[in-house]
Amino acid sequence: MKISKLLSPELIKIGLNSYSKDAVIRELIEILEQNNLLNNPDEAFSAVMERELKQSTGLEAGVAVPHGKSNAVDELVGALAISNEGIDFDSLDGKPCHLFFLLIAPPHSAGQHVSALSNIAALILNKRFKRRIIEASTPEEAYAIIRQAENEDI
Amino acid sequence: MSFKLRPEKIMVYVEATEKSIIAAYYAVCLAKWLNASLIAAYVVDIKTLKNLTKAKIFIELEEMDYEHDLEEDGKRYLNHVKELADNKNIGIEKFLLKGEVFKEVLNTVKENDVDLLIMGELEEPESRRDFYYNETELIFRKSPCPVLVVKEDNSAKTMYDNL
Repeated sequence: MKISKLLSPELIKIGLNSYSKDAVIRELIEILEQNNLLNNPDEAFSAVMERELKQSTGLEAGVAVPHGKSNAVDELVGALAISNEGIDFDSLDGKPCHLFFLLIAPPHSAGQHVSALSNIAALILNKRFKRRIIEASTPEEAYAIIRQAENEDI
Repeated sequence: MSFKLRPEKIMVYVEATEKSIIAAYYAVCLAKWLNASLIAAYVVDIKTLKNLTKAKIFIELEEMDYEHDLEEDGKRYLNHVKELADNKNIGIEKFLLKGEVFKEVLNTVKENDVDLLIMGELEEPESRRDFYYNETELIFRKSPCPVLVVKEDNSAKTMYDNL
């Protein structure tokens, strides 16, 4: 599933108020909650944190992909937060994270979940995409950058 | 592979989607009308799982967990397609495959001498990238036998119900 089909400007937040991993994930969960995509925000938070305890989803080069499976959602949902300054997310390279892609899928939705994660993996390999989206000043601009990156010709 | 006016072996490509079920309705109808044998194939996308672990988005345990989930999805969908065939007294062979999706599907077509591949409606491509990397697009374009794409509406289900 393309990220531009999963997200919309309403599911993108520019600038975060948090300075810790827990708080960033809470903020991402709040985006889903505000868009009425969660049945149970606490359960969704626990599912994502459970995965974080196994190994941080803070990857390298400023990207984090917190994700989990939970009955708190009826279908695959996602949110994106962008921090120009960067936040410590216990990432694998020890550097601050700027892009936070949150994905939560119901237990029996593995295909879509894997497909969406795969599309995030492709996006974050694109250095130009990363540089542009970190500098986006509005959710609409960030969304347009995702859409363009996913649909650009090769 | 030679083109046959009356296909004798039909394969329906099954994904965990409603589109695949619609394709399966039509495949069962066609197998009945043509007295053809029917195969259903689902592929656990191992390549993507391994790529996610390589990209460090998955940990190994998670890769195994998702592989199991995808396999269960495959079994559930293949069993549902088998039920559809059984209800109309059509014999069906199920293939639960693992690997790179389009390669596994095309190998199964070749190895089983399939002469018609049926699949659900394709996503609207938005770029040339979609043509090159979308697995269902690749199956559609590279299949060695004719491909029939079933449109997503109620007519296949209605035909099946009236069979």
